[in-house]
Amino acid sequence: MARTTHDVISVEWIKLELLRTAYATRGGLLSRMDPRVVLAWYVLVALAPWFTHDSTVLGLLFVFSVVMVIVSRVGPLVLGLFVVGLLTEGIYLAVAAWLFGGDLDTLMALAELTLKLGIVSLASMAAFVSLDPEKLSDALLALRAPALVAFGVSYGYRMLPIFMEEFHTIVDGHRLRARPVRSRGLFAWRTVVHVGVVFVQAFYPMMLNTAKRTRTTVEALETRGFTFAAHDAASRRVRLAHLRVSLLDVVVLAGTVAVVVVAYGAGALYPTSLR
Amino acid sequence: MTAVIEVEGFRFRYPGATVESLRGVDLTIEQGDFVAVVGGNGSGKTTLCKTFNGLVPHYWSGRTDGQVVVAGVPTATASVAELSAVVGYVYQDFTNQLVRPTVRDEVAFAAVNFGLVDHAARAAQALEMLGITHLADKFVWQLSGGQQHLVAIAAVMVLRPQVLVVDEPVAELDPGRAAHIYESLAHLNAAYGTTIVVIEHHTDFVARYARSVVLMADGAVVWHLPVAEALARSDELDAHGVPAPQVVQVARAYEQHGPVPLTPVDAARWLTERGVEVRRGALRDPSEPEPSVPARPDAARSAERTLVARLDDVRHGYRGVDGRFDTVLDGIDLDLHEAERVALVGSNGAGKSTLMRLLTGLRVPRSGTVTVEGVSTRDVSASIMADRVCYLYQRPEEMFLTDTVRGDVALYPTGRDVPDATRLVDEVLTLVDLHHLADRDGRTLSGGQQRRATLAVGLAMRPSLLLLDEPTSSLDIGSRDGVIAMLARLADHIRCVVVATHDMHLVAEWATRVVVLDQGAVVADTTPAELFGDVDLMARAGLVPPQVAELGRLLGMDPPPLSVVEMVGRTGTGAALVTPGHGPGRSDRTEVGHGAHHA
Repeated sequence: MARTTHDVISVEWIKLELLRTAYATRGGLLSRMDPRVVLAWYVLVALAPWFTHDSTVLGLLFVFSVVMVIVSRVGPLVLGLFVVGLLTEGIYLAVAAWLFGGDLDTLMALAELTLKLGIVSLASMAAFVSLDPEKLSDALLALRAPALVAFGVSYGYRMLPIFMEEFHTIVDGHRLRARPVRSRGLFAWRTVVHVGVVFVQAFYPMMLNTAKRTRTTVEALETRGFTFAAHDAASRRVRLAHLRVSLLDVVVLAGTVAVVVVAYGAGALYPTSLR
Repeated sequence: MTAVIEVEGFRFRYPGATVESLRGVDLTIEQGDFVAVVGGNGSGKTTLCKTFNGLVPHYWSGRTDGQVVVAGVPTATASVAELSAVVGYVYQDFTNQLVRPTVRDEVAFAAVNFGLVDHAARAAQALEMLGITHLADKFVWQLSGGQQHLVAIAAVMVLRPQVLVVDEPVAELDPGRAAHIYESLAHLNAAYGTTIVVIEHHTDFVARYARSVVLMADGAVVWHLPVAEALARSDELDAHGVPAPQVVQVARAYEQHGPVPLTPVDAARWLTERGVEVRRGALRDPSEPEPSVPARPDAARSAERTLVARLDDVRHGYRGVDGRFDTVLDGIDLDLHEAERVALVGSNGAGKSTLMRLLTGLRVPRSGTVTVEGVSTRDVSASIMADRVCYLYQRPEEMFLTDTVRGDVALYPTGRDVPDATRLVDEVLTLVDLHHLADRDGRTLSGGQQRRATLAVGLAMRPSLLLLDEPTSSLDIGSRDGVIAMLARLADHIRCVVVATHDMHLVAEWATRVVVLDQGAVVADTTPAELFGDVDLMARAGLVPPQVAELGRLLGMDPPPLSVVEMVGRTGTGAALVTPGHGPGRSDRTEVGHGAHHA
């Protein structure tokens, strides 16, 4: 088969999708909000499903989370991984229940857990796809997380594209120079092993190259007042001065509280159970 | 004038080191000066500059003696944070200095850290100073190397330091952008009175922009002189591994003493004043009817030569993070032949690296075909294509996949079960003169050694087509000459070599064919001499010719000379010539060519 360049489902596409996700380039409702409120929203939605076994409540919360994922413009890669994860989880549960002599009841009980985890996952996607590194780091700092943690988050994001490029380059280097896979074997197991080995071997150069980069970074941070800022109240105030809770934040948070209350109310009126 | 930095008898030894890196430095830098610090590798240039903002001795706490006074404050009594408000420092590997995701944040970072309430206004002003306001909302990783450098400088300027230290400002930039960085520095110097200190290998830039020059050797200052006086001492510079600008070398071929010109324009006047006449035509016997080198590699001649690789109507591009499609190569047709030394030139982002990646088969073009020795990259995997094509990355450490140089060189031959791989590896290591370092990790070698190690990796693959991306960037001149000599020797081993480069000296000294890329298209396919004679083409592709070619052009020489020796050889005073400097062969292509035979 002749090789061609694809725009989706290629390595380049995955790299772009990761960046779009990490840097919230698609916009969306939550990305326009104060990051502290987004974190609060996330905690609310992520905790809500754990206080009930009622499937009416869970169903409504699930639908709400799906809506939030849509308005937050979560990208296809993350969403695809979520769906695949949910499906394989379902299949795995069915197989496990059947193997261990369970019946439909066991399966349903487990399905309830899956639904709860699904809600948490959807909320995580909606929240973290909307928080770019700066917002997340400022929110953490505002919530009194140590300065080093807040900085680590934003620096980690900063390094993400560099790491991805570097990793890709090293893997390409192995493709060109190391022993190629002559025959793929049954279910291409040799290729799988080969890729695994290359990934492990790529760590050595990655670590050393990174260590070398970091030396300059640490020195530069020193000259640019990073350690100074860690102990300076004025610096913290200046950094966080731009955080403002707007009307939109209040509306979305209040709306979410209302949805949770309504869901629990509906559950009390029309209780259903998966068991 | 008042002194902003005063160094008195300063000595410094890095922790654990056996020798002192600085041994009794005395230096005064005046407010508002533009200082170039020159000297060979390991002469202590960078360590000296790190004393200015207190990184030495506060961050690097070694043994010190003597003192450094910055803006009236001894650095020993001030913290790095305090000193940073006076002295800004931009690193050679400036990309690692950028720590925030967006440009605006990066520039404001220091001001925010110091709790300055007007940080936003300061950041806006710093962006304005460097002319990069339009980049403010971009992510740092979306920028080109040149733009990142300007951001790094702006991020330091936000504290409005009195002194700005820039370590090797132009190491990885195309000549057009390199000049832009220097123009920006000159602007800061002129408009804001910022004292500029650069560490620089390229004396062309020193001649054009600096006002005074500090020569460092063995951890001490040899002298600190006004630029004209400093560059006139070309013998001393050469003895310390700092070659004088080419126009100075030309002048020194006529007069061993006295003032020298600093720019090609000055040099043209200087030569005219002394009644030096030049032969305008090429250096050849007048009875010979045709030029020995054809003006253009014409079709008839090309057809006779064996084809190694061909690009046929190749189009390629990438999708950006915002979903937009960027065309990088737009309908490229190119044939590469046996025994050609091809230089691929053009500004950053012209498509040089993409073209090379397509030749390796790591990527396949969106349309059109790439064939190497008759095999299309669409038909075989990159891993099979590697038997024919080898690509050497710009950053050597990306080529070091194992923990020894030997391991990296042996990776391909042993992986592909090449017979007698061990002997091949030994031969190659000897050829690049790295046998004694073969068991070290490539990352621990010096810049020049790293390049030679990657060349060894390429040689051990025994490709038909060797592709090199910027093989001479960030090298000091000595290491650079070593790499160029090594490239010249490759002729016996490899059918065709293609080098993507911004280094016009490399083009002049090594290439036989130059392909100029601009905005994804081949805008010229010519010889170095033709290229340097064509002012419009050079400007269009963002290139700056070597000084000697520029000088030749100003004197009406067609084709322009490519080396100092050729330039001098084509002048006709008959006056006794002095051999320029200590390294007469430094810029001489024939000298490099001879190297090929005793390899």
